[in-house]
Amino acid sequence: MERDTSITTTKSSHLMQRFQATIAAALIILAVFFVYANATGENSRFPFKLGLDLAGGSHLVYEADMTDIDPLEIDALMDVLREVIEVRVNKLGVEENVVYTEKSSIVAETPSYRLIVELPGVTDVSAAVAEIGRTPLLEFKLLDQNVLNTSNTLDGVSVTTSTSSETSSVDISDIAIESSAVAIEPFIDTGLTGRYLESATLEFTSGQGGQIANEPIVSIVFNDEGGRLFETITRQNTGERLAIFLDGELMSSPRINEPISGGRAVISGGFTPDEARELAQNLNFGALPVPIALASTQTIGASLGSDLLEHGITAGVYGLAFISFFMLVWYRVYGVVAIVSLLGYISIMLVLFMLIPVTLTAAGLAGFVLSLGMAVDANVLVFERLKEELRAGKKSKAAAAMGFSRAWSAIRDGNITSILSAVVLFWFGTSIVKGFALVFGLGVIVSMFSAVVITRTLLQTLPDIDLGVPSRFRKFYQIGFNKK
Amino acid sequence: MWFVTQRKLLLTLAIGVVGSCVLLIAVLGLPFGIDFTGGSLTEVVYEERPEQGSVAVLLDQQGLGAYSLRETGVVQGEEGFIIRTRDLSEAERTAVSAAVVSIGVGGEVTRFTSVGPVIGAELKDKATWAIALVSLIIVLYVAYAFAGVSYPVGSWTYGGITIVALIHDVIIPTAAMALLGYFTGVEIDVLFVMALLAVLGYSVNDTIVVFDRVRENLMQYRTEKKTQVINVDGLEREESSYTLTKPFAEIVGMSIDQTLVRSLNTSATTLVALIALYIFGGSTTEIFALILMIGVIAGTYSSICVANPLLVYIAERNVLKSTPEKIS
Repeated sequence: MERDTSITTTKSSHLMQRFQATIAAALIILAVFFVYANATGENSRFPFKLGLDLAGGSHLVYEADMTDIDPLEIDALMDVLREVIEVRVNKLGVEENVVYTEKSSIVAETPSYRLIVELPGVTDVSAAVAEIGRTPLLEFKLLDQNVLNTSNTLDGVSVTTSTSSETSSVDISDIAIESSAVAIEPFIDTGLTGRYLESATLEFTSGQGGQIANEPIVSIVFNDEGGRLFETITRQNTGERLAIFLDGELMSSPRINEPISGGRAVISGGFTPDEARELAQNLNFGALPVPIALASTQTIGASLGSDLLEHGITAGVYGLAFISFFMLVWYRVYGVVAIVSLLGYISIMLVLFMLIPVTLTAAGLAGFVLSLGMAVDANVLVFERLKEELRAGKKSKAAAAMGFSRAWSAIRDGNITSILSAVVLFWFGTSIVKGFALVFGLGVIVSMFSAVVITRTLLQTLPDIDLGVPSRFRKFYQIGFNKK
Repeated sequence: MWFVTQRKLLLTLAIGVVGSCVLLIAVLGLPFGIDFTGGSLTEVVYEERPEQGSVAVLLDQQGLGAYSLRETGVVQGEEGFIIRTRDLSEAERTAVSAAVVSIGVGGEVTRFTSVGPVIGAELKDKATWAIALVSLIIVLYVAYAFAGVSYPVGSWTYGGITIVALIHDVIIPTAAMALLGYFTGVEIDVLFVMALLAVLGYSVNDTIVVFDRVRENLMQYRTEKKTQVINVDGLEREESSYTLTKPFAEIVGMSIDQTLVRSLNTSATTLVALIALYIFGGSTTEIFALILMIGVIAGTYSSICVANPLLVYIAERNVLKSTPEKIS
């Protein structure tokens, strides 16, 4: 009676194991199919995302100058900056361009803020750099009277402002200050910059009130927030001069005669009509809230990129073949288990690359090839433990279960330290290092998963044999070359 | 057992190797590339490569200051030059690429990288911090994971030794890089840092696997004695003390033997993957693969021949301090 029950349990658990193995196999096949369909399909929803070094293209890093900016404002300014540059970059007609901002890591002595522009397929950055360079930097600053009193640069400059127009714009008919005055920096930031710009238009002066007639000027309209700021500034500083800077150069500095509401201002500065038209156009595409400078460029030719990709894939295929051969020779049937588990690992990783998506770079590919070698480690650990149990006279199934539970603490501790390292890397790294850390971290987790799920399931599904008694299966199970 | 009985020899050897590596790095210096120092790199490929001298003449006219010009590519149609200069402005970049493209048949600039000095310096900082922080986390985790076996060596010792092994494993490939830089002109880039970090992960993993076996065997070959101790504040607590039923050195030696095949097999599978990467992976990841291979071999070696002999050595000194008798 008791014997019967034990037989039925074995049978049902055996069925269960078969079932699990079938599901595991089905999942692997599904994953392989998913990867294949998405990688080869024309318009797949989840294609592999190739980094610039593999796809070819340009990577530009701009450094934003945040000196004298309220730290609380910085994030918002960087967002404005990104939006403005995005508009510019979109003008280039490059598909899938990416514009993002990045802060230097917390270990840097002075934090710096960067704007990164990625242009896949563009190998001549000149056009892109020029286009981005066309974005004007517009700033409004107040003249510091104290500093001014000590310098006589502005003596004799008379300023007349007209408020006759309905829009109450600051009408400018004064003379730009000599550049020598700029050196003393008598200007105070007002916080009013191109970020609050709504639109700009080319106009010509009407010649009223002593103005020169038909002088080209650029009339700008602030957005609501900018209009309010402009009103506050003009109210608080009535009688003072408001200097308008374009790309760091002083254009004009009209006197504020009265608070101005309505959010309109005028930039003049001896433009030719063409210059004024171009400025208006460029301002309409957005003006920079802070100055930026090109800090680094990287360009990879498309042919070099596809070469790298091809090499990476070849290396992966050969790596897999070498590892499979080694495992097969050394571990026989268990080697097959390890290979299936490794294939499972690869297909799960590829699916994750597509779904997350992970941007694949040359470094990431190299990391992935490396991870193939390390991913079988959990299998090796289990098989070595299993071998000891077999030598101790256990039947193969019991030995497998034992080997697994014994090897677990080593697998766990070794992998947890690796995962922790990957987290640190991800946290610290620049985009390239982040990509590598992500592949590395995912690799560790997935290899643990494939060892626990795939390897264990397959080991439990193999027929249970006693290696102590002669059997025709024996030589296939015999692992390692050394018998003790 | 050999690894444990010959511990003095092995440890002396390890100190010698690490010492000469440090010396090598100090004398030759590390060839930091533009990723770290800032500067520009232009790679140009021709259908037919012009004479190096004629390109140099052309570059001299550009007024770039000191620059280096190196031939690349071995396959016809992929031959060209890598030109390293200071950080170039946009105008200089255009001038240089126009000049080098015009000089040879089918000239094409396939790669241009320019890194500002600030970004370069920051990367160096980041790399140093990342390596330091990862090491710290590892000591903490290992000390925590081995808290259950603090006799005859404290669990912090396991963490500490892991780091010693790690320094050994990182310093050897770094010295190899210094040699490579000196003799072949290869420069350190971001990939090298990644290779070092991967070596770091591999090294720790390998050391932990052997220590894990030591931990398991220690628990098996010890007897626990519980004694009641009365604290100063009058509270009673139980204190466990352990006696090993086998000498510690023997337990460690046994653990190495038991994990030896696994250590070798895992490094073998990792090495074959790296060999594939070295041979087929192309020039970009060649150095990465080479550095990793050296690191993996160093890592496997250190987990067997440095970490465990050191463990026994420290245990021996601990016991010598408390009792005059030797443990092995």
